[in-house]
Amino acid sequence: MKRLSTRSSSKKEILTKTIETLKSGGLVIFPSDTVYGLLVDAANQKAVEKLIEFKSRPKGKAISVFVDWSLLDKTVSVDKNMLQRVKDLFPGPFTIILPSKDAVNKLLESEDRNLGVRIPDFQLINDLVAEFKKPITATSANLSGRSPHHSVKALLNSLSGKKKALIDLIVDAGTLPRRKPSTVVDMTKPKIKILRKGDMELKNKSVHVSNSEKETKKIAQDLLKQILSKKDSKPKALIIKGTLGAGKTVFVKGIGEHLGITNIISPTYVIEYEYKVNKFGLKSLIHFDLYTISDPEEFKYLGIEKYLRSSNLLCFEWGERAGEVLPLLQDKSRIVMITAEHVDEKSRKFTIEL
Amino acid sequence: MILSIDTSADETAVAITEGRNIVSNALYSQILLHKQWGGIVPSLAKRAHQERIDLVVEEACEKLLSHKKIKKNKTALEAAMKTVDAVAVTYGPGLAVALEVGIDKAKELAKKYKKPLIGVNHLEGHIYSCFAQNRSGNPKTKIEFPYLALIVSGGHTELVYLKDHLTYEILGETLDDAAGEALDKAAKLLGFGYPGGPVIERLASSVKNKDSHGLPRPMKKSDNLDFSFSGLKTALYYLLQKMEKKEINKQVKHLASSFQEAVFESLLIKTEKAIKKTGVKRLLVGGGVVANKHLRNYMRALVKKYDGEVLFPPYQYLSGDNAAMIGIVAHYKFEKKQFVKKPETLDRVPRLRLE
Repeated sequence: MKRLSTRSSSKKEILTKTIETLKSGGLVIFPSDTVYGLLVDAANQKAVEKLIEFKSRPKGKAISVFVDWSLLDKTVSVDKNMLQRVKDLFPGPFTIILPSKDAVNKLLESEDRNLGVRIPDFQLINDLVAEFKKPITATSANLSGRSPHHSVKALLNSLSGKKKALIDLIVDAGTLPRRKPSTVVDMTKPKIKILRKGDMELKNKSVHVSNSEKETKKIAQDLLKQILSKKDSKPKALIIKGTLGAGKTVFVKGIGEHLGITNIISPTYVIEYEYKVNKFGLKSLIHFDLYTISDPEEFKYLGIEKYLRSSNLLCFEWGERAGEVLPLLQDKSRIVMITAEHVDEKSRKFTIEL
Repeated sequence: MILSIDTSADETAVAITEGRNIVSNALYSQILLHKQWGGIVPSLAKRAHQERIDLVVEEACEKLLSHKKIKKNKTALEAAMKTVDAVAVTYGPGLAVALEVGIDKAKELAKKYKKPLIGVNHLEGHIYSCFAQNRSGNPKTKIEFPYLALIVSGGHTELVYLKDHLTYEILGETLDDAAGEALDKAAKLLGFGYPGGPVIERLASSVKNKDSHGLPRPMKKSDNLDFSFSGLKTALYYLLQKMEKKEINKQVKHLASSFQEAVFESLLIKTEKAIKKTGVKRLLVGGGVVANKHLRNYMRALVKKYDGEVLFPPYQYLSGDNAAMIGIVAHYKFEKKQFVKKPETLDRVPRLRLE
């Protein structure tokens, strides 16, 4: 059993060693966006058998696989109507069940020949799949019927020597954030079903299309009403991602208008503008724009902590650049993620995750 | 003499002025450029005002002492404050945490040296930058009210009517992005870094400011004097979407020029409307974007048409953010004894408006 650590090994070394091991039919313990996973080449029968032996999993119980967008089509059949729903969920902490195209070993499929696929929001796995160019198993690193593990140490403690001997490589990324395994969504039938609930709830992700500034503001206002209707003492943070002209400022203007603020302009130049509210139990709206943040050091000077009070609503444009402060926001506020995208010149799409 | 501080956005700026003459002017970025870093400004966090305000105050005071040939005591500040009559500071609009640093420092100095405190709106500063004179009192501009002021910067685009000193009426303003911001973002879409205004200017002038793409002129038909530039940005985005990368590279100068023309023409259309509406033909144009020579030419041509006149900030460093312009406003407030009554209560107003 070889061990690599994400702290001491380069990304290149990790990817090269992992791919080597997968190609030779090996079993790899690997971090993911949810829990530690068991990776083998999904098309290699011997490797899959080894995986099933390790998990002591009864045969006939399906095991899902990691894919990327180019492998998705080759691995499962997605009909046109479902494709949009798939795009709404991926990348993310979801496993989607779809009819298998038999590109992977049959032992991974369910009895009715369906297969679970995942595209996680986790760069290391996505890079691995892109380089390996084949589906890789995505099951959690625990024995069948036991709970999954967030650290390698806890996993190894639970294993007998015989089981340990089956592991060829461990990639240790320390203790992963406490997240539940992925939410499993069955899309084999027109009526979508949730088979297992993870951290991310499907019903809380919604997609809205707007054909005008007015409609964008309405979407923002409906969201705001929904947020305000919930009794919650934490401050609220709307994190808005999206490229230039995708409608981020218009979205915040919509929020502002509902709160009686009519003079919102883009805060790009100064990074943050603060508005007094005094409505619906809110005292201030703080409108951030992270566009010109070039150095994470700068967050230190913005004093975001002091705005994290229960009576404040924080809106962040260019949420893509919030990386440095996301842990703080996750800890101290109720976060809503909004992704704004261009559809065409007039239309925009907003994906809201509550 | 007035010591002024402006920390509304990126620049930590301190100046000492006498009337509308600038005796000493210091910016953190320039101190770095001249002293420690041999020409290269390091990419330190841009908004660390707290860590550098004392350094900039001292620099401004040293410049004053060397000009007045006064010897310094322990610090240049100690000696300089003996000749200073008041302390002025920008209290908005701007980034709250940045404004606080300047305000706290100004309060501290006013209290310690027992000087009156004057609060100034950053936008008044941009308007009054057009009246600035150097130590020797040049250029000798005559001030004749009323004026129409156009502020065009990275953060602001506003048309203001000035009946007299310190009386403002906002005629129009941007509803979304500022003109300078629009130019920056267009540069970004064309693949250039931030800030992109100067890049756009250079590209445009290399094709003689031709407008070969005919982008829309936002708000042209609306009757009011407000501006909007976010739709123009989107129009460029879609124009680029339709073009091949190779084609964009080939056309980049023309694209930059067409965008700049669209922005400037919008400014011209509204300014002309304001001239017609108010009958005022004397213009003041301030803010970072007036560093653009082509825009100056446009404005000169516009007032010529009405037999009016236009004033710009007379020196390059006065178009960007600076504290000298704050000092000039403060001089007129000093004459009218417009002091902050209870200095300890002066608070930052991030979205302060002209009144």
